[in-house]
This record gives sequence, C-alpha cells and structure tokens, in this order.
Amino acid sequence: MNPTQSGTERAIRLVEGASPLESGVSGGLWSDVRKRFKRNPIALSGFYVVCLFLFMALFADFLANDKPYYLSYQGKTYFPIFRSYLVGVRLAHWPADLQNVDFKKLEGAKSVFPPIPFRPSNINLFAPLEPPSASHWLGTDKLGRDVMAGMIHGSRISLSIGFVAVGIAVIIGVFLGALAGYFGSWIDLVISRLFEVMLSIPTFFLLITVAALLPPSIFLTMAIIGLTGWVGIARFTRNEFLRIRNLDYVTSAIALGVSNRKVMFQHILPNALAPVIVSVVLGIAGAILVESSLSFLGIGVPAELVTWGSILHEASSTTFAWWLAVFPGAAIFLTVLSYYLVGEGLREVLDPRLRGLR
Amino acid sequence: MGSFYLGLFCLSLSLSLSFAGCGKGQRAEEAPAAQQVAGKEEPANPTTGDWLVIHSLSDPEQLNPLTSNDATASEVLSFIFESLLTRDPRSLELKPYVAEERPTISDDKLTYTFKIRRDVRFQDGRPVTGEDVLFSIKAIKCPVVNAPFLRVYFNSLIHAELVDQYTVRLITKEPYFLNESVFGEITVLPRHYYDPENLLAKVTVRDLAQDPKKLPNEVKRFGDNFNKNYSRNPMGTGPYKFESWKTGREVELIRDPNYWGNGKSGIDQIYVDRVKYRIITNPDAALVTLKSGGLDFIDRLTPVQSVRGTSSERFKRQFQKLEYYVPSYSYIGWNNDHPIFGDKRVRQAMTYFTNRKQIGKTVLFGLAEVVDGPIYFFRPEYDKTLYSYPYDPKKAMELLREAGWKDSDGDGVLDKVINGKTTPFRFEFKVPSGSSTGKSVILVLQEELKRYGIAASVRELDWTIFLDDVKNHKFDAVIMAWAMPAREPDDYQVWHSSQAANKGSNHISYKNTRVDKILEDYRREFDPKKRIVLYQEFQRILNDEQPYTFMFVRKNVSAVERRFQGVEVYPAGLKPQEWWVPQSAQKYVTEAMIP
Amino acid sequence: MGQYLIQRVILLVPTFVGVTLIGFLVMRLAPGDPAELRAAGGLGGAREGTISRDKLGVLDEALAQWRAQYGLDRPLHVQYAIWVRNFFTLNFGESFKDNQPVWNKILERLPVTIKLNLWSILLVYFVAIPLGIYSATHPNSLSDRATTLAAFVLFAVPLVWAATMAIVFICGGDFYYLFPPGGLESLDYSENWSVWKKMKDHAWHFFLPVVLLSYDGFAGLSRYMRASMLEVLGQDYVMVARAKGLTEGVVVLKHVLRNSLIPLVTILASILPGLIGGSIIVETIFSIPGLGQLGYESVLARDYPTVMGLFTVSAVLTLIGILISDLLLSVVDPRIAFGRRGQ
Repeated sequence: MNPTQSGTERAIRLVEGASPLESGVSGGLWSDVRKRFKRNPIALSGFYVVCLFLFMALFADFLANDKPYYLSYQGKTYFPIFRSYLVGVRLAHWPADLQNVDFKKLEGAKSVFPPIPFRPSNINLFAPLEPPSASHWLGTDKLGRDVMAGMIHGSRISLSIGFVAVGIAVIIGVFLGALAGYFGSWIDLVISRLFEVMLSIPTFFLLITVAALLPPSIFLTMAIIGLTGWVGIARFTRNEFLRIRNLDYVTSAIALGVSNRKVMFQHILPNALAPVIVSVVLGIAGAILVESSLSFLGIGVPAELVTWGSILHEASSTTFAWWLAVFPGAAIFLTVLSYYLVGEGLREVLDPRLRGLR
Repeated sequence: MGSFYLGLFCLSLSLSLSFAGCGKGQRAEEAPAAQQVAGKEEPANPTTGDWLVIHSLSDPEQLNPLTSNDATASEVLSFIFESLLTRDPRSLELKPYVAEERPTISDDKLTYTFKIRRDVRFQDGRPVTGEDVLFSIKAIKCPVVNAPFLRVYFNSLIHAELVDQYTVRLITKEPYFLNESVFGEITVLPRHYYDPENLLAKVTVRDLAQDPKKLPNEVKRFGDNFNKNYSRNPMGTGPYKFESWKTGREVELIRDPNYWGNGKSGIDQIYVDRVKYRIITNPDAALVTLKSGGLDFIDRLTPVQSVRGTSSERFKRQFQKLEYYVPSYSYIGWNNDHPIFGDKRVRQAMTYFTNRKQIGKTVLFGLAEVVDGPIYFFRPEYDKTLYSYPYDPKKAMELLREAGWKDSDGDGVLDKVINGKTTPFRFEFKVPSGSSTGKSVILVLQEELKRYGIAASVRELDWTIFLDDVKNHKFDAVIMAWAMPAREPDDYQVWHSSQAANKGSNHISYKNTRVDKILEDYRREFDPKKRIVLYQEFQRILNDEQPYTFMFVRKNVSAVERRFQGVEVYPAGLKPQEWWVPQSAQKYVTEAMIP
Repeated sequence: MGQYLIQRVILLVPTFVGVTLIGFLVMRLAPGDPAELRAAGGLGGAREGTISRDKLGVLDEALAQWRAQYGLDRPLHVQYAIWVRNFFTLNFGESFKDNQPVWNKILERLPVTIKLNLWSILLVYFVAIPLGIYSATHPNSLSDRATTLAAFVLFAVPLVWAATMAIVFICGGDFYYLFPPGGLESLDYSENWSVWKKMKDHAWHFFLPVVLLSYDGFAGLSRYMRASMLEVLGQDYVMVARAKGLTEGVVVLKHVLRNSLIPLVTILASILPGLIGGSIIVETIFSIPGLGQLGYESVLARDYPTVMGLFTVSAVLTLIGILISDLLLSVVDPRIAFGRRGQ
C-alpha cells in the first residue's frame, strides 16, 4: 500500500478501518472507558510498554550518565548529576577541580555511577563496533559510543517527535475541522479544498524534500511531520462537528444566543474528541515510524543527536554489526506496536457499536 | 583560471579521478601464490572476448563530453572519447594520443601548435581532421553551449585556427606551465555528427568570446541542438562504442572492432568485448551482487566493506582486492579572519588536539594516511620532512595559555579578552550533511575539545548550502576535502591572497606575502626542478602557520574478479581498459563479434 | 450526474493550483543552488564531502551563465507563471541534469513503479480481504484477536529495518541467497528467453520489493474490511436472510460481502498518491529505477523541473483517484446524494 505516508495519515487509515465513530462520549463515561480498557489485556500491555518508555525518557539522565549519582572527593561530598542540572540553569558552579573532568578517572574518589555509566556522546575511539558485552550491554557504534546509552537518550527524541508532531497536527486539524464542520457553506468549501490539496500532495515526498533541503534539525522534523499530518484529524473533527451541530442541545444553545466560539469549543468539542484521541495515539506511532524512515535516509536528524533512527542508519552501512540494527529496530517496533495496541483498545471502548457487539 | 582538473573527462585512465605522481599502490592482500605466479607468467599475448561488468552507484548524468560534469560520466566517456594528449599511467608524462606528438610551444610560451595523426578515425569510419579539432575547441568556447564550468578552464585561450588540414594553432593570453596539459585535454568530437549543418563554420574562436546576444543565429541554433540532442548518444574516436543506456539499470559499451588504434604501437590495446556499467544505488546490494557473480568489478568498496565482509577465504579465492591512494586530502579549515583563529598558536593547538592517527584507524578503518601539507602525498613536490603534529593536548593547552586563553570566570569554557571584549572559546563546525566520515571526525574532535574547555558546536548543511557558506566565508571552521589531479600541482587558487575575495577558493582567507610570491613565480616557471624547490618552501610556511589542520589522504579498495588478467595498480588507480581474460576463463560470449 | 461531474471537476482547479504552488514554493524557497551543485560535479561530491580543487573556483560568471540557461534568473512568480503555461501544453520543461524533457523521464520510469504498486495492491487485497472476512465472522474470538495482533505486529515493523534485514540475510551476502539484492532483471536477461523464463525472472526480482511495500497494508485493509463487514452483519436484512434459513456461508458471501466491499472502493483514492512517495525507500534500497528513486535523486540534485513534474503527476493521479472513487461510490450506493459529498 503506502508504507511511508505521514504518521496521522497512516493512523487515519487504521481508524477508518473502524466504522465511523458515533455519539459523543460525555465526561461521565470516561471512568467506564477506563474500566473497559483495563479489561483488554493486549491493549493494557501496550499501555505498560508505553509507560516504560516514558519512564526511560524522563529519567534518561539517571539511567545512563557519565557522571556519578554520588561522589566523595577530597573530603567533600557531591551529587554530580543533580548538580549538573543546577549548573545548567546557572544556579551553581563546578569547583575548579571538578571542571571538565572525567569522573571515572578521578583519583581517590568514591562514587556511585548509574547502571549505564556513559552518555550517548561519549566517544571511545579504542572500542568501536564492539558486540554486546558486560561493559557495553548493547555493544558500541563505530565511534565507540555505547548503544544502550544511545537507546535510552534516544527514547526522548523518538517520543518527543511523536508528541510534538501530533500536537501540531491536532491543533491545526481540530481548529480547521471545527470551523468547517460548524460553519459549513463556503468556509467548509474552502477548507475542504485545503483538505483535498493536502491529500493530493505526495506527503512523504514533500517531507523528504523539506528535510533534505533544510539543515537537519529535530524541531524541523517534528514541524514538518505535524504540518503534513493534520488532514485526517481535521476530517474527523469536521464530520463530528457536522453531526453534533444538528443535535438538539446545540441548536438550542445557538438559539439561546450563546456565542459561536463558546458553542464550538465548550459544547461541541468535548463530545467530538473521541475519534481525535484515537488518531492522536496512532499518530504518535506513525510519526515515530516516519522519523525512522527519514533518519534512515540520513536526513532530518543532526549528527550530534543519537536517535533510534540514527543508530539504525548506521547499521545500514555496517551490516555485520547486527546489534546496531536489532536493538533500535526492536525499540521502534515495540513502541509503535504498543501505541497501536493502545489506540486500538481505546477505539474499541470508545466505539459504542462495537461495544454492543461484545 | 589556473589549473585544470585532469580527471574531468576523457582521460584514458578512467576510474581513478586522476593520476598520482610517484605514488605507490599495492595489492591489498597477497594473492595466493599460485595465482600470483600464474598472473605474471601469463603468455604475453592477451586475447579478446568476454565482458567486464562494472559497478556504478548512479547513472551518469548525461553522456555529452562537454556539458556533463560528474564523475560517473567522465568514467564512461573515457571509453568512448580521446583527447589530443594523454598521460603515461606510470610516469604521468604527457604523451601524444590523437595528436601526432606533443605540441610545439613558441618561445614566448603563448602559441601551441598541435599536429593531428592522419590515421585516426571516428567510430563511424570517417577520418579525424584538424577541422574536427577546431570544432571541438569552438564548441567549448561557444557561450550558448551549456558547459560554463568547462569553459572556465579555457578562459586564457583567446584564439585557435587551422594551419593546414592536420595542424591546429592555439594562442593564449599569458604563459602558464600547465597550458599544454589543459589543451591536451581537448576531447576530439566529430564535427559532422555534433554539428551536421556546420553552423559553426563561419565563426572564429575569437568571435565566440562576444556577448551571447550578439552572436549570429546559427550559433544559437547550434547551441540549442548541441545541449538537447546529444545527451545520450555519444560518438567519438575511442575504442568502445556506446551501445545502450537503460536508465537506472545499465550503460553498455561494445568494443569497436575497427578501432583506429588496433595494433598501433604507443596506443593502448583493448580486449574486453563489452563493458557494462551496472547501476546499483545501494553499496551493500552491490557487494552482494558482486559475490553472486552479477558484477566483476567494484572500484570503491566502502571502508566497512573493505575491512569486513570481503575478507573471507571464499572471497579472496574469487576476487583480488586492490588498494590505491586517491589523490585528495581532507582537512579542517580554520577561518583565518575569525577573531579566535586569526592566531597561529590557536590553530597549531587545534591540530595538536586532533588525534589524527587514531581517527584514521577507527573512523576510516585504517584506510587513510595522515598528511601535513596540501600537495598530493606521493608527488615529488611533497616535502617529506614536514613536521607532523602529533596528538598532544598538553602541548595544545600550553599554546593556548601562551595565546592568552584561560577560564577566568569559572564557567568551564576558556576565554580571552579580544579587542576589549571577553570572548569565550565557542565556535561552530560546519559539516556537509552527506559526509558521514566528516561528521564522525568532527564529533570526535568536539568531544575532545569539550574536555579542555572549548565549546564547539556542529552544524550540518546540505552540500550546496555548505558550499555557498564556504565560498562566502560564512563559517568558523569547516571540514571538507580537496580532490586534485595527481599531476603537477598548482595551488594558486587555494592559497593566493587574491583568491580570498570574490568567492575564490581561498575560503579561509589565508594571507601571506611570501606565499603569494612563490605561487606567482611557480606558475611561470617552466623548469620542474625549480618548481619543486619553490613548493617545498611554500609547504614549510603552511606547516608552521597551520591555516588548515591537514587530515588524510584516503586509501581506496577495489575488488576485481580473478579471471581478469593484466590488472595493474597504477599510482592513482586501475585502468580496466587494459584488462583481458584468457580464452579458457571467459564467462560471457558475445555473438557476432568479429575482430 | 453530469452536473455533479462538472461541479467536481471545476472544484479540482483550485486544488490543483494549491498543490502545485505548494510544491513550487517548498522547492524554490528552500536554500541551495542547483548551479552550484552542477559546478561542483553533481551529487558524487556531496556523498563524500569532497570537491575537486578547481571546481570550487568556478567563477560566478559561469554560474550566472548556467542559471540564465534555465531561466532561473527571473523572479519567482514569473517562473511559476511560465511553468503553468507550459503545463497546459504538457511540457514540464527539461531536467537540469541531462536536458531531457521531464515528461520523457517520467514516462520512462512510470511502468516500473506502476508494476510494483499494482502487484503490492493486489497482494494486500488478496491477503487482507479474506483476513477481514474471517475476523468479522468470528468477532472477538481468539483467532480474530490473533490475526488482528499479527496484522498490527506487521504494521509496526519499520520498513527500513525490514528491508535492511532482508538485504543482509536473504539476498546473498554472507548468509542466504534466496532473492536478488536489487535490480529488475538478471544480468543475462535476454528478450529471447521463453515467456515462462522471463516471468520467473521478473517474479524473482519483484518478490521482495512487493512484499516489503505491502506487508504493512494488511493491518489497515483487514481492519477496514472487518469493520465494514461487522456493520453490514448487524443490519436487518442480514437477520432476515438468516431467518430465512440460509446457511451462514451463503449469507456472508452473497449478501454481506457484496455490500461491505463498497468502502473498499474509496481506499483506491488513497493508493495513487503513494505511487511516488511510498516507494522511495524500497526503490532506493533495491536499486529499482522507478519514480520514487527519480524523485529522491532529483530532490537531492535540486532538479526543479523534474521534482515539479513528479509532484504534479502524483497530484493529478490522486485527484483523478479521488474523483473516480467519488463517482464509483455514487454509482454503487445511490443513497449518497450527488453534490452533497464535498470530499
């Protein structure tokens, strides 16, 4: 089919696979949704995996770092990892004897290091392309950088690409979809043209064009994935708005003279969000996949950053180093799969008709 | 314009970019003894037949010898076209090719007279005359022909005319020792094929230097026709005829049985019936194809491939691996106009910080040699006594301290008061985004510098944007590489202070009056020995000033199927035109090939 | 019907202008200069970060000459206007790379891409529809869940990873040699081969790319099929049919399947734009000279006319796809009122 379309576009295809969602899910239903979701073991396990990766991303500095948690040096006690945060916001200084030092080589120091005592940028020219071992759990890349550290810190980038890109897509998509669905007539016509334009653009081609021609930047990658991926969300929102707009409670609100803005965003939007939520979850997965394709082609991600995609890219030129292909590949696969399972689970509990069939 | 890039097109030694001087090439691994002996004792009469299937990473852009400007095209075209002079692959001396002998040069070094051989024929059987040579020159000089990048090299050529049917005289603006080489490069095009209506007949070379708008209509018509209709159907005097080009798949050449040079002494003989370039965009797929018999020759294995994946016994039985140095060097250029890098001591310190040996070993898998000057490593001009800066961060820190750099505010970054302002030691490396080795080198250096309180950031840029920034001097430091012809160097463009303006190649704004003088004298010096003396002094100055941190000359590894005989490693590469396969080992049979 | 058609076609015009304008602007506003790239010796140098010493020294005058040759020295809006004017005579201009008409370059590669995509679409449909039917007729059973999970697992495998693994492990190299690592036909392919032999050779070369292009489509389409079947299965007439005592097989195959195939028609529209974008990665990895490869190379080489040509062709294909599926839908399902469907 079309494997490299932008994230949400792929997600939409999946969601469209379901029958169109009906009925708003009112606030009171959410606890019910939670309960039902918990009954679905597959979706739940996906959820846990997502949480695991989130944990990894949040605490990356504490899982893989070349600074110790605790350091006792020349009679003084330090907590270098914490201190580095303070230094980062200029609230503290390194004492002169700890400035720019290699903490592992401090003489006469007692220290406790994180489980992975490396940062992804730590280069070791004497240990390139080493297979997994006790000192490097997942091996090293061609510059002797620890792959495990790269994977842990890379999860930040993969996840934030997903979140930010889809965030952008949601903002644009919901806004335009709401306008089109609520006002109809010529506004709908114009915005629908815009949908058509976006649908007709070869998205991945556009993505590659932008990513290849502009300087590599993670934010740019996020932005272009988001900017090309909002159509699906917009269409869902529009359809939901079209439907809900004609419900009695909305027509009476309008009759009562409630402002358009209030009707749209306070009365209709909450009830129209269900399909959006599903496509957000799936869209995140899609964005991660797109990022991996881009970094595979060697575009979009700056050299200083280690991402799952960039490790995979390296694997493509050092094919014998299986650990460079297997681990990041598996991480991408697991994350994406988990998001899909969560999305699928959500869709099932949010879709009343499927619920009826159970 | 100064020197001319020899490998641009039509040199008979196609696969290397150009020639190496007194370079050395060697076999990567000694072939099994038996094979080696067999190879050497093979009867001296090679036979024709069989095909040679060569890997190419991409399509040639086009096969017009004047308007194409990419490496794949020059490679393919070198089988089809010939030039006035060529170079002996071993000595790199110029020798006659389509010209009967080397040109006679007037005493004022301004007039070059070429005599054309009378027995040269185009692939359609028509003989080559001076008219064709003159036409070829006109085509290059014709401003509507889409070859501006080639035309630049002929800027000093102001006139050319026929003396008689087989003699052409060229007149230049100023004396320059490389002019003979530049003119010798002229590809001989069949006038009757590329300009069937003889539209250029009436204009002279001098006329063509005019404003394009004032040129007669015929010239414009010729230009249009030449640009559009000759991209995929080359025809010249060379030993191979163009057969077909299936876009994205293969380019096929067949041996011309009526090649004019057959049996002529002094002209290279050719044996392989068909040369196919197979286009495989993925280098790993190419290696796999090679192993499974779909390719006979990969000229450039990736560094990883040459170390891993091609060292099994099976591979060695089937292929020979050959190594040669590529005439080029990579470097980190420090913007000499930058407040930080204007100081010689800082630049020296940066070189001391760079662990070139270990980077070469790790990042380039040992397929590189550290260099210390801008002249191709294996040229006689290269000064072997140059000081090779070792990896010595202590020495580097000393130099920096001497230059006034220290961390006065305790923020972990060195600083110094420059022009009344406290300047932290922060700068940016610009790296072309396509070059993964460049990126690796910079990452290593960045990490190293961080440890000593120097904050370097890395910025990757797409190639053309990168080049634009480089030309406009918009950078602190860049990493890139110069490729150069392996013949006599001329570094005027890169180091002369005049070239720092107007987007010249002296993009780091290097200025030294002594160097300027040397570079100018060198160009007018027709005595090779004196030129060497001049350039050795020039290199010693650079060595001290370290405007670049010179990095490596790269080693190239090729794999060739063992059935090919006569595979020689020349100073700068391989010459597949010479290869042949003994009757008994031939793999492909060509029908209807009558020698 | 006729009026609806006219209305739809008229509405395509602004869309078309929008698409081409976006393509044009993205390409042209991005920094970089094709003249500079040509002068530096094309993409070869970019790969290594190496430049021939003399090529960087090319004079500005030469660059200007080159730009003038292709009209790049004119203002942007004029260039766009010229492009549109030429478009109406089906003239996409000439490639910067080899001065060939862009249209010829596209036509040359179109068959390959179409073949590749056609096979992968067929494969997707052949696998996904039975899967979807099976899932829908056994909703929420263990096997339904298993096929769903399997489809999702496939969907989540990154294409680039799968392709790299395939090249490394089953395309020769140091492991197995089950499939060729690239290309469209064997080296010794000849027109004189028997039809059977030719077909076998093609199938052998196409197998991996086609599978890689399609495996992640199974999930989407089978889900789609399943949902659409479930919807139909829940309708009254199906219950009536069951009540009549028809066997389940007859009900499913005769009554349900036919009606649930309708939505599959709409998916056709979304397949066409993928023709170019979708196969970039597969074509690059497997050295297949199709439109995707052409597109990617042209982007890197800043071959503006070719990129615009591809962009436009792909957009037009999509618009046609959307139009056709709209029309088909309105034909097969008269309940959809003409003109009411905006998109």
